[in-house]
Amino acid sequence: MTYLEKQSNPLDPVHFRGNLQADYLYTSGAAGDKFFKHIMENDSFLASECEECGTVFCPPRLYCEDCFVEIPDEKWKEVPAKGTVRLFTTAMLNTFGEPLEVPKIIGLIDIEGTDSSMLGILKTKDQKQDLTGITVEAVFRPTQEREGTLKDILYFNESG
Amino acid sequence: MNRKVCIVGVGHTNFNSMTPDVSWKEFMYDACKKAYFDAGINPRKDVDSFITCAEDYWEGFGIFDEFVPDQIGATLRPCCTVCGDGIQGMANAYMQIMTGLMDTVAVEAHSKVSDLLTYGDVVLHAMDPLFEKPVSGPVERERYAGSPSYPDNNPKPLVGSTDEKERVHPYFLAGLEMQHYLRSAKVTEEQCASVAVKNKKNAFLNPYAINQADLSSEDVMSSEYLFNPLKRLDISPLVDGAICFVLAEESVAKKLGIEPIYLNGFGYSSETPWLSTRGMDAGYARQAVNMATKMAKLKDPKKALDVVEVDDRFSYKELQHIEALGLAGPGEAAQLLEEGELYKDGSLPTNLSGGSMGVGNCLEATGLQRSLEIITQLRGLAGKRQVTDAETGLAQSWRGIPSGTGAVAIFSRNPEVKT
Ligand SMILES: [Zn+2]
Repeated sequence: MTYLEKQSNPLDPVHFRGNLQADYLYTSGAAGDKFFKHIMENDSFLASECEECGTVFCPPRLYCEDCFVEIPDEKWKEVPAKGTVRLFTTAMLNTFGEPLEVPKIIGLIDIEGTDSSMLGILKTKDQKQDLTGITVEAVFRPTQEREGTLKDILYFNESG
Repeated sequence: MNRKVCIVGVGHTNFNSMTPDVSWKEFMYDACKKAYFDAGINPRKDVDSFITCAEDYWEGFGIFDEFVPDQIGATLRPCCTVCGDGIQGMANAYMQIMTGLMDTVAVEAHSKVSDLLTYGDVVLHAMDPLFEKPVSGPVERERYAGSPSYPDNNPKPLVGSTDEKERVHPYFLAGLEMQHYLRSAKVTEEQCASVAVKNKKNAFLNPYAINQADLSSEDVMSSEYLFNPLKRLDISPLVDGAICFVLAEESVAKKLGIEPIYLNGFGYSSETPWLSTRGMDAGYARQAVNMATKMAKLKDPKKALDVVEVDDRFSYKELQHIEALGLAGPGEAAQLLEEGELYKDGSLPTNLSGGSMGVGNCLEATGLQRSLEIITQLRGLAGKRQVTDAETGLAQSWRGIPSGTGAVAIFSRNPEVKT
């Protein structure tokens, strides 16, 4: 630093701990609402398809981000809650940078019948090294325990 | 109207893993004071407008703009915050000057990340709360709704309130993207490791780079997998640092008797935030460089650029970015590195400053740190890492996980880039 008198005793600097009371309500929106209400009752997903470019979004959206047009109700469809693992990683650290007690395998899953992917926790039958290309299916909570959030999907399990 | 914008002053603090002796305000003051001294100006009368680059969650308090003016000399003057990387702030300064309304504009960006005790969670907070963040695990505190009058289950929590130590660090996204890059570019983990080796070695020749190390790629390869294939030494360390640039119209530089470094072109671009449909090939860098080279009328960037700084927050990112910038064909950046082309005496000297690997990841100041190196090189003041007769350089930045935003700036010693 450029001050004439610099601190040289490391015990001198004073710190205060503080935090932010920052809690929110996250509105799921018109499209998200339908999606989450759907998975409360069904073991499948909803998707929406752009009329102009044909892109199928899952999670579904009210509008296409490429064409910037609205997607009408009749272009919504049900798709199976399964897909193909495109990418995966084994996460070893928690948000504090400490080792996770149980490492988590997270995959980017291309959802069947759509042009979209979802992040999900992966479970496999055996200890595989390479999970690329395997087919996985969402495992949901029992219907009566669902509450219409993403945590209704417990994980994605290898199919078959 | 033939206005040209140039850099007439630069200043920066020391970069360090922590800076407990100064407040963030004193830290910013230090960088700005040096930049104004470098330009030989008094900000209280010579600077027409002030821009800082910051984001409330990095800083730890709300409406950051309001906390800015005093430490940068901007009280009761036009002042605003750009919520983005320093190069985006510089682009805004350029545009202000080109309107003719301002002649001299100061741009500041900083990281005081050592003040942030929950970095991983703040980054996680940048992921979509409904569709993407929950994959990381439990998010909320036990009683998460601010008012005690909210019962615990209403509004319902997004994810269960089990042990918060189960929340996955958001860098898992870099692990996924690295796997994608390795496959699509047909590059090996060893080749990515060589980036960390090169940049940490470059840091030895940069007096302000504190993360210098003489490593072998075996050292990087044998560091533990944190987000397979991403290893501990593939990840740049966090660092504190503040940087300020003074930009001015060419005539101001002449009046000040300063040899100007011109900002000839810039570009910035943001991908969709939805990981669900987002590309993984740094499309933001491709877009940004197209905009910047067009503006700078740079036909053959590879030939014209004498020195380059690209974002290397994760080792693979340097190779991915070089390719996205069109400076190497798909999958060819690793080859350039192996052939020595990315070193000081190669055809495309890259990250001679040490980059994020050697200097450290300084959040929104990253773009200015990269630009600082280019300006230092073009001024001929880079000492032992000086590229001979450097005339034109490019700096590129990325806002880090989980963002899809990047920016590019092209500087030269000449009002028009020599091609
Ligand atoms: Zn469309």
